[in-house]
Amino acid sequence: MTKLFALLAMLLAGTTIFYGFTQQSALVLRQEQQNNHWVRHDTRTSGSYRGGGWVASPTRQTYGGFRGGGPGAGK
Amino acid sequence: MSSAPKTQLTARFLDPFTYLTLLSVVGVFACLVFSPIFMRSLVSKTIQVDPDIPEQLAPIQLKKEPIGALRIDVNAAIPENHWVTYEIQLKDQQGQVIASGIKQAWRESGSWSEEGESGIWTEDDLVGGLDVRPTKSEPITIVLDVLEYSDISGKEIDQPVPFEISVVNGAVDTRYLWTGILGATFLAFLALLVTPFSGKVIIDKSVGDSDISGRGILGGTNNLVRVSVNIKSDEHSPRSLFVLLVINDGNGEQLYSKSHSVHLSFKKSEGGKVTGANGKLSSFFILEPRSSYGFHVEVTPDATVDRTTLIVREHCKTLFPVEVTTLKSIQ
Repeated sequence: MTKLFALLAMLLAGTTIFYGFTQQSALVLRQEQQNNHWVRHDTRTSGSYRGGGWVASPTRQTYGGFRGGGPGAGK
Repeated sequence: MSSAPKTQLTARFLDPFTYLTLLSVVGVFACLVFSPIFMRSLVSKTIQVDPDIPEQLAPIQLKKEPIGALRIDVNAAIPENHWVTYEIQLKDQQGQVIASGIKQAWRESGSWSEEGESGIWTEDDLVGGLDVRPTKSEPITIVLDVLEYSDISGKEIDQPVPFEISVVNGAVDTRYLWTGILGATFLAFLALLVTPFSGKVIIDKSVGDSDISGRGILGGTNNLVRVSVNIKSDEHSPRSLFVLLVINDGNGEQLYSKSHSVHLSFKKSEGGKVTGANGKLSSFFILEPRSSYGFHVEVTPDATVDRTTLIVREHCKTLFPVEVTTLKSIQ
């Protein structure tokens, strides 16, 4: 029984250390798939990476001043 | 015929797996404690951002690194009863947004009164944060944009919003580590809980009396035998009872006979009245060779004893070093 607990505890420790240190939860730049993204401080991404560019989410588009300047403005 | 019993304190039967679960907890905790050593602060300042006029920070060179991520933490320093929706944006060298996150921050306060007492409450949720991991080395610019700024009635405010912004590189996500610590602690707790019950039960007998006997085939080298005697006693119990434990071999030859004093723990009702008592004796043996052994228990004085349980387990593991008596039966 303790063998099972030890195995689980070591597996859990290894996984959480790996995930924590390699920041699996971070938003990966320029990547469409964000499987492990884990929002911090309730700060939700307001867009996603599609076809080589950042596309604003529908909620983001309801706010004014979208994208504010730069060559990508209004995209 | 038998040789004289030999008792020795030994750590030979400690359960390594229980200690491995504890080591897992310590390991993750150490990682948590040492995680900030990878962090390098890049920006730490307060900026004012006008609604709808994005504010840019100086460009930062991002590098792909094996440990940690770029962490942007923002704290909106707004007055009470205000709401602000702000966006953290990351732009590449061409000024294209490559990532963005929205935070709806607020700070509210009010007064309460209840049963003649009153006070002021304040609540807020002001901090926003984005962790990003680069896939290539490139310079990026962090932009802070106030999308909406209003009071609680919804009236827009056209004033700059102060933000405390901190940017660090090499930030480790400690939420995983906390999950690991909590999970491993839970498993360690379970392991600690089950270790005293480890091994195979050979005898498990219970009687509504003070004397109990049992016999079983057990023992052998490197086989720790745990003899547990649980006593249930009534409200008139003395502070301690004597438990005579006798072990005989297959020929009925007495190998061991010892009286142990067992302290009772008293159960009390809500009014503080004693309702009963429990006593527990645990003794460890190595019985050689593997054979039939008989166990006999007598609890004295027996007047208050309601129930006696005898449990004998073999192949046991322990949490701490224990006194083990070696008994050899010569047959």
